[in-house]
Amino acid sequence: MSSSCVLFVDDEAGFLELYRTVFSRLGISVRTAESLGQARQAVAGGGIDAIVLDIRLGDESGLSFLKEINASPARIPVVLSTAYARYQDDVSSWLADGYVIKSSDLTELKATVQRVLEAAR
Amino acid sequence: MTARSRRAPGSRMAVAGVPLAGRGVQRQKPHRVIELVNRVSVALESVVDPDVAAWTVLVAFTAGEGLGFNRAYFLLSEGDEMRGTFGVGPRSQAEAREIWAKLRRDQVTPLESIARPDNATLAIERERSAEILGWLSHRGDVKCAAWRRAFVARPGHPSACVGHWLDTLASRLLVVVPLMAGDRPWGVILADNFVTQAPIYVGTLNAAELLGHALRASVERARLIVRLGEEQRHRAAAEHAGTLIETARSLAHDLKNPLALAGGLAADLAAEPSRDADLLARRLGMVSEAISRAETRLAQLVDGLANRALSSTVEAVEVGGAVARVADVFRPLAFSRGVRLTCYRPARPLIAMASVPSLERCVENLIGNALQALASGAGEIQVAVLATESQVRIEVADSGPPLPAGLRADPFAGGVSTRQGGSGLGLASVRAQIQAMGGQVGYDESQEGWTRFTIVLRRLT
Repeated sequence: MSSSCVLFVDDEAGFLELYRTVFSRLGISVRTAESLGQARQAVAGGGIDAIVLDIRLGDESGLSFLKEINASPARIPVVLSTAYARYQDDVSSWLADGYVIKSSDLTELKATVQRVLEAAR
Repeated sequence: MTARSRRAPGSRMAVAGVPLAGRGVQRQKPHRVIELVNRVSVALESVVDPDVAAWTVLVAFTAGEGLGFNRAYFLLSEGDEMRGTFGVGPRSQAEAREIWAKLRRDQVTPLESIARPDNATLAIERERSAEILGWLSHRGDVKCAAWRRAFVARPGHPSACVGHWLDTLASRLLVVVPLMAGDRPWGVILADNFVTQAPIYVGTLNAAELLGHALRASVERARLIVRLGEEQRHRAAAEHAGTLIETARSLAHDLKNPLALAGGLAADLAAEPSRDADLLARRLGMVSEAISRAETRLAQLVDGLANRALSSTVEAVEVGGAVARVADVFRPLAFSRGVRLTCYRPARPLIAMASVPSLERCVENLIGNALQALASGAGEIQVAVLATESQVRIEVADSGPPLPAGLRADPFAGGVSTRQGGSGLGLASVRAQIQAMGGQVGYDESQEGWTRFTIVLRRLT
């Protein structure tokens, strides 16, 4: 997992800082985006092995970005991360490689990211 | 609501139990029947209640200037039962004499009353005929050989249901007007002259048939209107539930996000204590800010739930009247502060789906805010209730200073207040309550010198 690069997309700067701290310690190269615009730029730049994507990004929906990623030739695995469990009912969310409910305990998110990265190798 | 039967000039008596069409008997004068049917049809055009439709037609059956029967009953088919639905007329000879004497004394012409049905009259007839209608209800096969056309039945009639009705009413000559839906009976009108024992004429029988058809059309129409109203209410309830779910999603997100962030940062600090004092201070600041945000959202959630509990019952509300009442309450206060408060609403009623207490609280909040904005001096508040084809719009505009910059982006977001010590939840509460009613809120300062808040509700036509 040491050479992997994960893009975290969340409109909450605090979460991005938390992710950067925690996942950097795991040896993961962390990139962050506070909007879908920034996320698209990061993906276009290449080198992303997985994306952790918030669903509600202000007025934007992470699910639309998930569809874009799935439609692109270089399909990058996506882990959805959201505060609201009911988004699992949205069929769009089934396209994701993982689905994690936001929590102060990042154990599940770390495990899911690890699983997704290993599966992509 | 009855009158004595009169013999129609030029008519001949019908033979009991046998339809008379085609027997060559002289009929009731056609122009009189046409006039009666027209009059009833005009009255039925504006009827939206099956009971009123039944009352209208039965009055035409029993009025002296109508068909002149002593009493009449309407039964509706429900499954395999013919159920007594409405009746007009006296229960006994003594009651008949009493009612008819009163009609004469008061110079009441019953047929004229069908143009303006009133609940009190209907309630009297409903109560008077309730017991008899229960007795008339009949379960089982209600068909008989002569069921297709109106006929006059006598005791000993072969049909079980007709025999039951004859027995129940102790009728010597009973007019039976079947109302069919294809091959199945849809309903029936029964009428007789149990007091006067006046003969029944073929013209009267034919006119009774015509009125029966008019009744069926009107009841079907009224039922359709009722069903459409129920559909509209169900749709409103579904939209209401949808709004609540979406609000719950939003609140869950807004509440859980800062809590998860605060917990995550705190857990990380505990697991890997930082020696960098600046970093530590910044992280703790983020934890504090996240918890504070969660507290604010929690207060909004509690406030919103309280509002929803109160506004959970939406109904058809005359919006103009509700808004005018609130404006009237504020007018003396506005006057004492030198503020001119006007309220415009059209003369016609504007009906929308809303909860009256919630709507009044929202309008109170907007007018209260407008007064607050004009606290420094004289000015004007314009309240208006307007309508489009599908919406009712309530506007509260004031000539005070524009909103503070912090509020302009989304004044309904909450958390920012123009008042000293205000929670900033007032406008957020307005939005939550209006959305719970399936409505929307808006704000604009496009008209120079005016700050305008808008509530939009779905109009019922």
